Amino acid sequence: MRRLGRRDAHEWSQRHLSHYVDGDLGRMARRRLEHHAQECPECSRGIRAVRALLRLMHTAVNDLVEPAPPNIFDKVRADVAGTAGETNGQGSQ
Amino acid sequence: MTSAPAIASAVGTPEQLLVQRACGGDVGSFEELVSAYADRLFSIVLRIVGDRAEAEDVVQETLLRAWRNIGRFQERSMFFTWLYRIAVNEANRALEKRARRGVSVPVDDETVQLAAPAEDGPARQVEHRELRDGLEVAIAGLAPPYRTALVLRDIEGLSTREAAGVAGVGEAAFKSRLHQARMKLRDALGDAALIASVAPNVP
Repeated sequence: MRRLGRRDAHEWSQRHLSHYVDGDLGRMARRRLEHHAQECPECSRGIRAVRALLRLMHTAVNDLVEPAPPNIFDKVRADVAGTAGETNGQGSQ
Repeated sequence: MTSAPAIASAVGTPEQLLVQRACGGDVGSFEELVSAYADRLFSIVLRIVGDRAEAEDVVQETLLRAWRNIGRFQERSMFFTWLYRIAVNEANRALEKRARRGVSVPVDDETVQLAAPAEDGPARQVEHRELRDGLEVAIAGLAPPYRTALVLRDIEGLSTREAAGVAGVGEAAFKSRLHQARMKLRDALGDAALIASVAPNVP
């Protein structure tokens, strides 16, 4: 893997924080990011922030599944009623 | 349509049996099949379209399409993946229609209410409320493909593979959208507020 200058390493790390947190980086890329984050407060804070974001979305929302309203089958039932009407009509002929 | 002997000889999970009966025109089996996923289906659609009345309409349309096309359902995919995929397509269609009319995505108070941890004191509750409001606005502000990726993977908790299948893209493309969506939320909320949200509760 190409060696990056400090500024490039920082920009690269910032773009790959979410990949890192998800374990989507290869071994070399992971080490590159970890190496950079050890000496870069902004990137190590970024890693914590992405983890916090995931936790926030997961805990805050998973507790609350929205109950489906009772009318969700209305169109299906209307369709069935319509089809049944046609069939009956044909049958009576 | 499926004949009666095919149903009688069916050996499999109840879900497969329900699919077969629904294919045979049994609407009761179809409703039973869908009911297991109805709340999650509605939640996903609600979070993508951001409006309760529109979400109801999208879900009704989704189920109508699923009912009419149940015969095309391939059992090598999971039923819920197939169903959610129709829903995501319908939701995106509704968003496109709305965009053509020039209406912005609403964020009404009852749409995406995120729960606060119950053990927090009043000050923390206020902070959480502000962060949750910011999160809702930021999610609503994402372009539909990014919002869909985030809702399916990070909020509804589908695996990457399932979520990519529902979104109808390859896993690499899906991941790319997901990472970008998260970075937009991170920018919108700020690292300090995010980190504080998981910090130990100091009285």
